[in-house]
Amino acid sequence: MAELTKDHIDYIIKDLHYRGIVLEGFEDEIIDHVCAGVEEQMVSGKNFIDAYEATLRSFGNTDGLLETQKKVIQIRTKTSSMFKSYFLLALRNHVRNKFYTIINVAGLAVGIASCIVIMLFVKHELSYDNFNEKGDRIYRVNTALHFGSVQKRLALGAAQLNDLFRQNYPEIESTARLWDWGPRYVRRPEHNERVQEKMVWADSTLFAVFTLPLVEGDARTALKEPNTVAISQTMAAKYFPEGNAVGKSLLIDDNVNHRVTAVFKDLPENSHFHFDMFRSIVELPESKNMSLVGGGWMNVYLLLREGADPHQLEAKFPAFIEKYVAPQLADVLQGDFSMEKFRSQGNSWSYWLTPLRDIHLHSDLESEFEANGNITYVYLFSAIALFILIVACINFMNLSTARSANRAREVGIRKVMGSLRAHLVRQFLTESFVLTFISFVLALAIVWLSLPVFNSLALKTLSVPFDQPSFYLALVAAIVIVGFLAGLYPSFFLSSFKPVNVLKGKLALGTKSGIVRSSLVVFQFVISIFLIVGTIAIQKQLYYTQHTKIGFQKDQVIIVHRAGFLKNHIQAFKDELLQNTSITSATITGYLPVTGTWRNTNTYWPEGKVPTHEDVKDMVSMEGWQVDNDYVKTLGMTIKMGRDFSREFPSDSTEAIVLNESAVEKFELGPNPLGKKLSSFTDNRPDGSPDPNSIKSWTVIGVVEDFHFANMRENIAPLALFLQRSDGYVAFRFKSKSTQAVLDKIETLWKKLAPENAFEYSFLDEDYGKMYDAEKRLASIFGVFAGLAIVIACLGLFALAAFTAEQRTKEIGIRKTLGASVNSIVFLLSREYGKLVLIAFVLSTPVAWFGVQWWIQGYSYRATIGPGVYMLAGGIALAIALLTIGYQCIRAAMMNPAKSLRSE
Amino acid sequence: MHSPELLKGTLQTIVLKVLKDHGKMYGYEITQRVKELSDGHILLTEGALYPALHKLEAEGLLNTETVSIGKRIRKYYTLTSPGKVQAKERVAEFVDFIQTMGSVLQVKLN
Repeated sequence: MAELTKDHIDYIIKDLHYRGIVLEGFEDEIIDHVCAGVEEQMVSGKNFIDAYEATLRSFGNTDGLLETQKKVIQIRTKTSSMFKSYFLLALRNHVRNKFYTIINVAGLAVGIASCIVIMLFVKHELSYDNFNEKGDRIYRVNTALHFGSVQKRLALGAAQLNDLFRQNYPEIESTARLWDWGPRYVRRPEHNERVQEKMVWADSTLFAVFTLPLVEGDARTALKEPNTVAISQTMAAKYFPEGNAVGKSLLIDDNVNHRVTAVFKDLPENSHFHFDMFRSIVELPESKNMSLVGGGWMNVYLLLREGADPHQLEAKFPAFIEKYVAPQLADVLQGDFSMEKFRSQGNSWSYWLTPLRDIHLHSDLESEFEANGNITYVYLFSAIALFILIVACINFMNLSTARSANRAREVGIRKVMGSLRAHLVRQFLTESFVLTFISFVLALAIVWLSLPVFNSLALKTLSVPFDQPSFYLALVAAIVIVGFLAGLYPSFFLSSFKPVNVLKGKLALGTKSGIVRSSLVVFQFVISIFLIVGTIAIQKQLYYTQHTKIGFQKDQVIIVHRAGFLKNHIQAFKDELLQNTSITSATITGYLPVTGTWRNTNTYWPEGKVPTHEDVKDMVSMEGWQVDNDYVKTLGMTIKMGRDFSREFPSDSTEAIVLNESAVEKFELGPNPLGKKLSSFTDNRPDGSPDPNSIKSWTVIGVVEDFHFANMRENIAPLALFLQRSDGYVAFRFKSKSTQAVLDKIETLWKKLAPENAFEYSFLDEDYGKMYDAEKRLASIFGVFAGLAIVIACLGLFALAAFTAEQRTKEIGIRKTLGASVNSIVFLLSREYGKLVLIAFVLSTPVAWFGVQWWIQGYSYRATIGPGVYMLAGGIALAIALLTIGYQCIRAAMMNPAKSLRSE
Repeated sequence: MHSPELLKGTLQTIVLKVLKDHGKMYGYEITQRVKELSDGHILLTEGALYPALHKLEAEGLLNTETVSIGKRIRKYYTLTSPGKVQAKERVAEFVDFIQTMGSVLQVKLN
């Protein structure tokens, strides 16, 4: 048999292509068939052209060929294995375009991974207190009071509400109170070593209201008697490793023996309170405090009966207040008190309910058990997750449509051949699904690897719920959604090509028609710039809180904790250490300008303006801190007016106060507050209400410059310093270079004076820094995701630039032969993308400005986020974008024109 | 030469049977083989053969295998195991048909 030459075969291939035989899997077959036919004809002596003509005739020439091809296409469409062929075609297309596939998958995988991590976080936040079986019926009672200038929104209610509510409202099934005293020392009576444990006073009904499964003991009897406790499983294992904790004793604060009556399963992480120990509130005097207005503030929870409406219950509270609270207020304020008068002066007293499951995300009141989450951040992070996913999907769309030029012909011919638009849509969708699926698998791996990092950033213990079927269901749903999201536009875009135009070569879609593509790139960069601005703004505010003038000097101060253990040696401890030249000053106090130290709010008024039923507007709620003579000096505060406490005035300790500027303003003491007097109650009556006979007055001797003692979100509250002993801490200001040497000296002396207690210390600047941990976490999480968004966007840009450069190879070649320099070509290529980033910058700035303003409004003290920040963010985005495409541009520009022009 | 009308219903049977007897074959080879077996009476047109092959492939009766020879790519077809069963059944069915036709048309088949 005569073998055809290469040229003959080339001729046949080209001719058949020209006649429109292009169908994959069919084309090759026909070529081979025609070749074989021609060969046979040539054996019988015909020349090549004649033989070819004859063979084609047996097919029915072009018409017959096309008819056959159409039949094959129709058969493929009809049969069910079509999906397989879509799938195979999709795989083949992906393998053929490795570069774009890898970029697509990488971008999408990272995007999906970020999304999954954030979703896990959001889901965790939303799951708080869900473990309570009766959770939808549990409500916490809150109190809001506005009394003169005292304004409070408390997560607390009076102890008596417990009984009064239950007696008055039959829809309440049960109530439970918790009273948090802070951590206490616990030890077994026969052991000496004691440890601080998180504990709370609790009613025995606790177990009926909340879902706290018991490991040991009986929920019906637990905590029923005084001096009994329920402890967590962890704690039981720690104190009673031998087992059977119930019935054994624990010593709290070294004085009272408490019998363990139950061991409960550790509280899950998604609970709004975490305690290791509940101690029975029975017989506790505070729990019997009859006052509704002055004492016994506790966290009160109500369990409503099935079907009870909390709003109807809330509607009954004003009448309750009229009946029970008003008489008590009248008693305190004396005279002819009436609620109308009380209200007409702008005062108010109200109770309202917070559903248990809303506490974590929706409640931010005074005296919450723990720092709650914030629904805003849940929304914010969800938005970020969505943004990142969109950015990743845009990559996919852009690359698919960009490559459309290469596939336009395929689409055109397929359509001519009778392929329906639906087939093409299905084909392209299959391609996107294949990619999405691979990306999801990869994303799961990334999530699994990166979750520990995220956990340490966000202080969470999230895990991938591989054991939950719903998780897989969600994944499948997500694959479908993302697959459609990423594939729908390209598939409709590509399948919409008009064969006439494509085959005429009218569509140079790869480079032009970029309006949609450009807007998508712009959108990606809008998101990226927005996130960068967010990151910088948070960082700036964080820097501001740490480095602005805060009113005291936080560096070089050591704080010795638990100074109470020094008992009567405390003064000696301070004095002896002051002998050291490296310690410049020291102060004994429980009150320090960092959170976690003591606080003491009370109500004061200018002397003579005793609060009565007529007039409570002069009352001011103010912090009263008990400090010693060296407090202001040691902490580096500034006296603005008057003088500091002094040993030369013995009366200071009973009659003098130093106010901060905020207090001077609040009391309206005018430009010269010195010598003016403030008064307050100093004692309570037995029922817990303030005793009108205990009013005492102090003289203002000095004004200290405002200093921050809470997060800068809050205004600096009015504050007064009193010269009185409070022994929570001893603070030392030191100047030595060797911090360790100073610490050693302090510790040596501690061991001498309080040998049985461990030495604990911290540095003031670190404690101060800890107040902003939440902001730091936010900043780093924001930073990470901003970085990811940028990386994904740049991946897409990189591939897009590669594609454009490829498309314009010839143009570049011609330009170079005509004398264009490498620089001018690089400029030419990067200009387009630079423009897009600039547009993105212009668009994102107002959005980002709005977002930043909204966030920073939450702070009373704000850093200025000037135009520089926005310029910087835009600059970063532009620089990163140019760097990304730079490689592609330079490569294209450096190419030898001879080479690029010779191809084809 | 037989009329294409008569061939129409038997094309798949022919393809299956030929493939059953010869194992691996490509399209052109099948047309040649059928021509040979029928002494030139049956000429499979390409326009009928290829759609039939693709249909059988789509139904899972045929497997394909491509071999590149020089610049051309040759696609071989083989029967899958359901294909083999089908080949047998279709041939049996056809024999049955011929016998029925014999009785209907009152002709004696040798």
